Amino acid sequence: MISTLKRDLRAYGAIVATVPKMFMAYSIWVWMSWFVQIIAVVILVAFWRAVFSNTATVGGLDLDTTINYLLLGMIFRAGQNTDVLYEIGEMMRDGRIGITLLRPLDMQATYYVINLANMGLNTLLSIPIALFAWLAYGLSLPNDPLVWLAFLVALLLGNAVMFCFDWIIGCVGFYSTEIWGLSVLRYGFGLFFSGALIPLDMMPDWLRTIASVLPFSQALYLPVSILAGINPVSAMPRIWLIQLGYLVVFLVASRLVFGRALRVVTVQGG
Amino acid sequence: MALLNYPSLYWLFLKNRIKILMEYRMNFLIGATSTIMIQGAGLLTVWVIMSQIPDLNGWTLPQVLLIYGLITLSKSINHMFADNLWTLGRDYVRTGAFDRFMVRPVDPLFHLLADRFCHDGIGNFLVGGVLVAIAAARLGIVWTPGVIVYFAVMVLSGGVIFIALNLMTCVSAFWIMDSVPVTRVVFEMHEFAKYPLSIYPRAIGLLLTWAIPFGFASYFPATRLMGLETPLWQAYGAPLVAAVLLAVALAVWRFGLRHYGSTGT
Repeated sequence: MISTLKRDLRAYGAIVATVPKMFMAYSIWVWMSWFVQIIAVVILVAFWRAVFSNTATVGGLDLDTTINYLLLGMIFRAGQNTDVLYEIGEMMRDGRIGITLLRPLDMQATYYVINLANMGLNTLLSIPIALFAWLAYGLSLPNDPLVWLAFLVALLLGNAVMFCFDWIIGCVGFYSTEIWGLSVLRYGFGLFFSGALIPLDMMPDWLRTIASVLPFSQALYLPVSILAGINPVSAMPRIWLIQLGYLVVFLVASRLVFGRALRVVTVQGG
Repeated sequence: MALLNYPSLYWLFLKNRIKILMEYRMNFLIGATSTIMIQGAGLLTVWVIMSQIPDLNGWTLPQVLLIYGLITLSKSINHMFADNLWTLGRDYVRTGAFDRFMVRPVDPLFHLLADRFCHDGIGNFLVGGVLVAIAAARLGIVWTPGVIVYFAVMVLSGGVIFIALNLMTCVSAFWIMDSVPVTRVVFEMHEFAKYPLSIYPRAIGLLLTWAIPFGFASYFPATRLMGLETPLWQAYGAPLVAAVLLAVALAVWRFGLRHYGSTGT
């Protein structure tokens, strides 16, 4: 009797022990990314406080505005980092691209929707970071719903621009069958020229010009600067118009490039 | 069988690895320079900002670059020679490939490290080297033999600190099959050590000195090299810290190894 009970307890104990293991195996990645981002927040705030230790403004911005802008940039950075480039690269490596192309859905539209869902999910996942930034450093968010609306429109437009941009680069992979190098390059450029590390206002003129012409800032600096109060809502119609212009150009270009690239696509394996 | 000659065995592994890398020359070049891109974005930020302000809470641009360069060099040693510690869970334990190491007459840890020299680290090495050279020139550091030896010992100790911490944390793969998140959390603390520790709250300085001692890989030797007043234990502590950490890490590794149950696939 006792020995049966002991055996049962051991068995249940082993099953119970698998639960945290399963939790650890997957959700541990989410915990890791929160932890890593919180470290980034602490470094960011300490670095910028040191920057402003002997000066009141840099590039016309004060300490609070700068930190608020950069924290908001961290929270909403998913709009600029579409995963589509990695997706295409992976599909090409394992040959999945053949099946995907056979599906009766427009491949680009399918991935645009996936990209939107990813952006939403990643933004939700950064809520703990926002909470931390709010508790520790008084992150301030605007109360005016109009500002949020303006931000949202600019974010969606900018993300669509970046999606088309990444799609074009992804199509280059159809020719080279290797995309990793390009994605590293794109990531490095995006990191700096999107305005994720410094607001465009602080860049010297020549860098600022480059950053404004390149598409990366469309999905980060433009929307986030509205939220941080660097750009007023009244500047919105002009910004939207610019974004629409970018979108039209990149959308048409991405369709053209995709159409041509399909003729040379290599389906590996099989 | 004669006693294994580990250095020449490592050389053999390395030659093989380079042959593989040379099959895809373009990828090799991109990999070797990829970290330069990412470092470039961070460095451009530091440069843009620091050219507009008088100082970073008392630190000049060359001083910041020296600290940044030292940690990048130490990191590159880990990146080039011990990058496989990252993939222990995903590529070796989960796939069962680690069994291969257990039945061979070579130390499993040596085998794991020698299995993949990571060329991506070359970019970090170059960036770190260039940063230190520029900073040293601007700070008027004279490369006497004494300074060169001090510098080399500090960078190597820094590299060992990185490797020991990664080794300690990668052991978690023997239990949870994937060690990257655990390793990453500890590894990420080195980001603090890219800047002078004095800009952070005191608790972070203590953490980076006593718990996860990346301070010994950048800030402390840097202040010594700049000729700032540095307590002796900070200026010369790195080799001792590295040795102790490595001893602990090896003990943890052996403990983990005893608990390694193959995935059985």
